[in-house]
Amino acid sequence: MAFKKLFIAIDKVPFTYKASILLFIIIGGMISIVIFSQISIYTIKNDFDVLFEKRTKPIVKLEAIKDTYKINIHDTLYDLQNRNITLEQSRDIIGLGRQIINKNWNQYLEITLSKKYEPTFLNKIIKKFFIIGEQDKNTILKKSISSNINDKHLKINNMLSKILIEFKKENFKETSSLINNVYLEINTVSIYITNLTNYDLSMSVSEKRDTQNIFNTISTILNVLIILVFAFSILFSAIIIMNFKKLHFGLEDAVCAKVEELQALNESLERRIKNEVTNSRKKDLIMFQQARHASLGEMISNIAHQWRQPLGSIMMIIQGFQTKMELGKLTPEFMQEKVNDAVLLAQNMSNTLEDFQNFFKPNRDKENFSLKDCIEHSFELSKYILDEEKIEFILKIKDDVKMHGFYNELSYVFLNIISNSKDALSLKINKRLIEVRVKKSKKKIRINIVDNGGGIDDKILPHIFEPYYTTKYKSTGTGIGLYMSQQIIEKHMQGTIACKNIYYKIKNQDFENCALFAITIPISEADKNDD
Amino acid sequence: MMTRNLNILNEFNILYLEDDDSLLKHTADALDDFVKNVFAVKTSQEAMRILENKRIDVIISDILLENETGIDFLKELQEDKNIHIPTVLTTAHTDTKYLLDAIKLKVENYIVKPINLKELLNTLHDILLPLIQEREIQKNSNIIRTISAITDNKQVEVVKYILDNLNEKDELISSYSDIMQNISISKPTLIKLFKELSDKKILVKTAHKTYKFENKALNNI
Repeated sequence: MAFKKLFIAIDKVPFTYKASILLFIIIGGMISIVIFSQISIYTIKNDFDVLFEKRTKPIVKLEAIKDTYKINIHDTLYDLQNRNITLEQSRDIIGLGRQIINKNWNQYLEITLSKKYEPTFLNKIIKKFFIIGEQDKNTILKKSISSNINDKHLKINNMLSKILIEFKKENFKETSSLINNVYLEINTVSIYITNLTNYDLSMSVSEKRDTQNIFNTISTILNVLIILVFAFSILFSAIIIMNFKKLHFGLEDAVCAKVEELQALNESLERRIKNEVTNSRKKDLIMFQQARHASLGEMISNIAHQWRQPLGSIMMIIQGFQTKMELGKLTPEFMQEKVNDAVLLAQNMSNTLEDFQNFFKPNRDKENFSLKDCIEHSFELSKYILDEEKIEFILKIKDDVKMHGFYNELSYVFLNIISNSKDALSLKINKRLIEVRVKKSKKKIRINIVDNGGGIDDKILPHIFEPYYTTKYKSTGTGIGLYMSQQIIEKHMQGTIACKNIYYKIKNQDFENCALFAITIPISEADKNDD
Repeated sequence: MMTRNLNILNEFNILYLEDDDSLLKHTADALDDFVKNVFAVKTSQEAMRILENKRIDVIISDILLENETGIDFLKELQEDKNIHIPTVLTTAHTDTKYLLDAIKLKVENYIVKPINLKELLNTLHDILLPLIQEREIQKNSNIIRTISAITDNKQVEVVKYILDNLNEKDELISSYSDIMQNISISKPTLIKLFKELSDKKILVKTAHKTYKFENKALNNI
């Protein structure tokens, strides 16, 4: 449970902190493990050194002293007593033995008392730190034993000197008692030395135990540390891995969501584009209708013009019948003549209507028609407004081409340009002219429509094909005529329409400012075959 | 609408100016029955030629002619030639720009096409009626003058005095002496004249010095 709680608590920590904690644990753990192992190795090495130098080596020295006493002193004295060796020999041997004993003893004292093999400062701290029971070193005992041994040394030396002197004097009795005393002393020294050895041994045993304790403690700590480091590393790694997984899944989800969003956006965009395209198509359609409606007004005034005269005549004929009748002068001859005239007039009116009706007939299918007919018919339809403004038009159609498309649309384009020219020309006083030239090249047909209406203002010229751009009053212009014309030429006929002001010669007369509408329509293969 | 006696038109000459052949022909045909002569022409030059040779009483002109306007033609006529003939304009335009010019030229009427023949005839009647009336008055005064020249001059003068001094109730408030002061006439002749007028119920005495002139009584003579 606790572990679970901890786990949850850790899990709550932000990811970056977790990573830092993991790193900290690994690095900290490693460092502490290294430090502790270094300390333990050092301590153990130190302890081992101390044990060897301070405890084992002195024991060897003590054993050597003991052996020297036994062999050199005791045996020599014994041999001397039994006269197995000469005095000289024994003196040498004893002297040697004393030298060895002195040397070893001094060395022993030097070793045991030297600071060199005292536990180092670090060791002391560690020992203190781990609260290893301070061993009762019992130095007093050691010192007393050492001093006893020193005393015994001196005693033995004295006695040996005496023995040797007495022996020289050949005072055997004295000598043998002295030798016995020496034997006794040697035994005593041996016992002391054995005590000292025991002491050193016990010390080394206790120190060994200390080392063991330190080793145990440190290894326990190390083990615990290692386990902790492992545990935490694994824990944090697990958490981090889980985090990574979570992050991964989270990111995957996020990416999925974004992908979905993108797809949705894409779809909506596609939909919108579709909508926009249909809208733009609708707009085009509406604009063409508007344009047609705008020209409808013009056309109606055209029809009105064309109808007014015959209508007046017909009305006059009818009223003539009435008055003749009232006056009793209505003769069959008069009747016949007037009826014939009236029928002719009505027929004319009907034809006019049909012409315009054809223009307003909705486009059904593309049809084949002659460009020349289209241009001529367009001028025919505009004839009355042109006549009214006294505008003369010249058609120079050298090459006729069979077109395939919507007759009404092309006718609309011509009518629109004619109407614009008429508007420009109506502001002029002198001769008003419109000239149309049609010229065919290999791949395309070019129609130039020029009027001497003074050209188009440079400020207006770049905008004339823009929709809803008009220089006319709102009531007379919708501003879509030329836009629609452009749409028709460019989109339906794959041609171009351009406008510029030029210097032009019409009927051998030069005009400075003329507006030129140049329409270029490619001749398709099918059209060529028709020719 | 007051019915007009269109027969009065038949002694007048009309000049009709219209550029549309068909309308010119048919309108001329229709007018021909009512007026003495219709001179139907297409251009102002032809119209001028007619005007030089014939007596024209009314001009009917379309405003928009071929390459000219009826207004310009009228201006030329009035300003350059100082010929003032009553004119009716016809036009397909209800445009006021011509109307202003037309008013300045004292055009009699302005008929919007298509032409209503009745309206045209009525207009002609209205224009020509004062002419006829003027002629009538001229004729009557001539008659009176002629009669007074061959009969007793004084009696005519008295009748003239009576008619001149009638008040708004057609009453003459005057005494014999008032009349005699103005006209040198003998009293018996005057009394005799008044008696004669009273007998014929033309001048009836209603009060002292007051005589009522009875217009109706003249119709019975």
